[in-house]
Amino acid sequence: MSVTPVRAEMALLLDVGSAWAKAGVIGRVRGRWRLVAHAAQPTAWGATVLREALVDQLAASADARLVDRLDQLIANANRLECHTARRPARVAIVAVSRELSGSAARRAAEAAGWQIVEMVTFDDGRTLAERLGTLQAAEVDAWLIAGGFDGARSPRAMEAAALVASSRRAGGGPVIWAGSSVLADEVIRLFEPGSAISVANPRPDARREEPAALRDHLARLLREVVSAEDDTHLSTVAFPRAVGALASATGLRILGVDLGAGSATRALAEPDGRVASRVHARGGMAGVALTPGAAARVARLAGDAGEEATVADLLQTLRARPSTLPHTPEELSATQAAARLQLAVIAEESVAGSLDLLVGAGRAIAGAPHPSQAARMLLDGVRPLGVTQLAIDAAAVLGPLGSLPDEEIREGLSLLGDDLLVPLGTAVVCRGGEPGRVAMRVTVHRPGWPALAPIELRSGQLQVVPLPRGQEAEITIELFGSVSLGAPRRSPRIRASATGGSVGLILDARGVPIGLPKRGDDRREVLAGWRDTLRREPAIGAERVA
Amino acid sequence: MSVIHRVNIPVGGRPTVGVGHAVEPSDVLAERRSPGDGVDLPVALPLRRSARDGAACLVVQAGDLLDAGAVIAQDERGRQVRAAQACMFLGYDDADGSAMIAPLGPSEPVLGHVRGEVVGIEPDAIELRVAGALVTGVGGSGNAVHGELRVAVHEPGDELRASAIDIGATGRIVVGGSRASAETLTRARAMGVAGIVLGGILDKELRDFEATQQRRREIGGVRGDFAVILLEGYGKVGFDPGLFGWFRAHEGRMASLFGADARLYVYDAVPPPARRVLPRPGDRVVAHRRPHAGQGGELVRVLDRLHAFGSGVVGRAALVRFENGQTTVVPLANLEATQPFTGE
Repeated sequence: MSVTPVRAEMALLLDVGSAWAKAGVIGRVRGRWRLVAHAAQPTAWGATVLREALVDQLAASADARLVDRLDQLIANANRLECHTARRPARVAIVAVSRELSGSAARRAAEAAGWQIVEMVTFDDGRTLAERLGTLQAAEVDAWLIAGGFDGARSPRAMEAAALVASSRRAGGGPVIWAGSSVLADEVIRLFEPGSAISVANPRPDARREEPAALRDHLARLLREVVSAEDDTHLSTVAFPRAVGALASATGLRILGVDLGAGSATRALAEPDGRVASRVHARGGMAGVALTPGAAARVARLAGDAGEEATVADLLQTLRARPSTLPHTPEELSATQAAARLQLAVIAEESVAGSLDLLVGAGRAIAGAPHPSQAARMLLDGVRPLGVTQLAIDAAAVLGPLGSLPDEEIREGLSLLGDDLLVPLGTAVVCRGGEPGRVAMRVTVHRPGWPALAPIELRSGQLQVVPLPRGQEAEITIELFGSVSLGAPRRSPRIRASATGGSVGLILDARGVPIGLPKRGDDRREVLAGWRDTLRREPAIGAERVA
Repeated sequence: MSVIHRVNIPVGGRPTVGVGHAVEPSDVLAERRSPGDGVDLPVALPLRRSARDGAACLVVQAGDLLDAGAVIAQDERGRQVRAAQACMFLGYDDADGSAMIAPLGPSEPVLGHVRGEVVGIEPDAIELRVAGALVTGVGGSGNAVHGELRVAVHEPGDELRASAIDIGATGRIVVGGSRASAETLTRARAMGVAGIVLGGILDKELRDFEATQQRRREIGGVRGDFAVILLEGYGKVGFDPGLFGWFRAHEGRMASLFGADARLYVYDAVPPPARRVLPRPGDRVVAHRRPHAGQGGELVRVLDRLHAFGSGVVGRAALVRFENGQTTVVPLANLEATQPFTGE
């Protein structure tokens, strides 16, 4: 009797972060590619343990004839891998003014993923000697100088360049001049040949800010500094590429936020595939401890995480031991409040126009124990005005898929189909209105469900209508008074469609930013109400209100 | 056992030691003259040029260090502008024809703050081999200090009280326990303690102490150096008993503490008990997150299946028998294997 050999087609998707490594196995199941196993563990545990975890999962469902070969099959599978940069790229910025040239340079550098270790401006209150001392002691990979409007010979901008020339040792990293164009040649001559380059001024005049050229140059330079190999494998590059391909494939406007242990990446992709991405070098969970006043804000936002001092210790623990897990409900609550705080910082640069889809990635969001917690982090952190689908990259597959060559990313995304993202539902977020007054009235029509009476939401309220994954609903939104969905109102009734998910249809009239009661007890009660509204398991046909 | 310590040399610093030299913590490894505040030096006027044309006569570049008498600019007729004193040339202002120079201050020493042997000199750093052990922490505060180790608590979980800081602690690096209040730190500082080694400290208390120090520095009330290092975590977190035993065994040894860098060198010491992620059954472990932060115990077994913890987070878990008698399930990611200290 001849034995038919069993073939197994599979690929391994790896996202190796600074603290956590995530792996997914995709395999062909009855002719379709499916995500068949997924595991996450501290990066320090190593590849063997991660593979063992995947094998354990697969062994439960794989063909019995394959079980003994699973380890070998995974080891030999095609690998799609992305990883966090092994070390941050550090830059010192010298600019004429903090508010104009300095802030433009800072934003461009942060957007490109640089860690700003020193920032000197001529209005920082320091003496020249202090500025020189600070810069001469700085350990950096690059220097960024900014100042002067285009067409003007700014002596202060020249002084900024001279300050760097006086502080930097020969061969001490590339210098980028991002100031007045007429001074470019003069500035470049201050440095040894080949070490300085001029890029378009991010602040060409007092009214305009055009950081794109500087940001792109810094992004390219960062890849040279931190990654010797193909830069598409860097998570900060791969994640936005995948978000861009997803937007292009679906025709949706998508905001992807990847909240890592160390850094955070934000990628806004248009339906034509164009992506604007920004990397916050200290925007990850570890960065919260470095934000002044963060402990008080997290304690206030969480409501049930304990005293400010306790939260401060937790935030430091997130920085010092990023690969540990919250063990108690209080620790989880504080961690998620910290994530909301970081997302708010990332989303600070407001998105013009509404979003179609908001995708959350990173361990804190995508690894949340309950989908409602992930939804709350996205909603409270980003505050996406209008009607927006929410989803999470629960298996951390976007990064690895984004490391594929351009022409293959879309194919990879479509192969995974429904396994790509976990839909949480759709959110309707409005702003404005007066406390206690009706902000919006929403009529929901769910095919196959009993008809619902129109739902009236008062300012400050949050309500969830059950809408499971795979279901769609037509919604009609009426706004009252000064309430807005972020776009000009063309008709008294706005019609939209909503897709379901593990949380449902979320109607959110809490405003932007969310207003919280000043009294501690009231605040805790309101926060608990919102948490429970999102959390309660949906009962068929019933809404949840807080 | 030896470890390599790297001392950064600021721009303009000149090494005063060579490879193979033995150095002590207070030895000068390099010297540097810091540029002071800028002063304007007329250039165009003495050369009888317009402000704009004066730039063409410069013979120096921004950042050049000049000795007293060095030529800054000269013309074809031999007229010269010289530096009256040692300085750094910062730039030329073609609006008024003056150069900006920063006179160099007195020579400042660059100290290594460790005892060791120079093994490498690079343009930006000097590398020293330190005969001893390096203990790294999770956080800290303050400058580089050195002194003898003195253990001031009886048990690894004891709090370091202000009353434990007496005259005998002056000039020493005090090894405390699970916590020290801002009051204890202030007393230690006032008593001339060089530094404090703790299992943990409340972040708020450390910040309060730093703020007090900063304020006192601003009004000139603080002299000398002081550093704090935390080895286990933030909050009230005791030492791992093995590590505490190691400190006890090395009481009286000289040590150098770099608070802000969270590094402690202990001279002529055997390696501290090693730590390892992913502990196995039978290992001694220390936990790193609440509610067991800093507690030691024995890992009884790793659970076969993923476990949902009190937070709701699901992950690999281990059953741990803690030294307080409690046996409980803990996230494996929150545990490190430690070794007991068995003596030298």
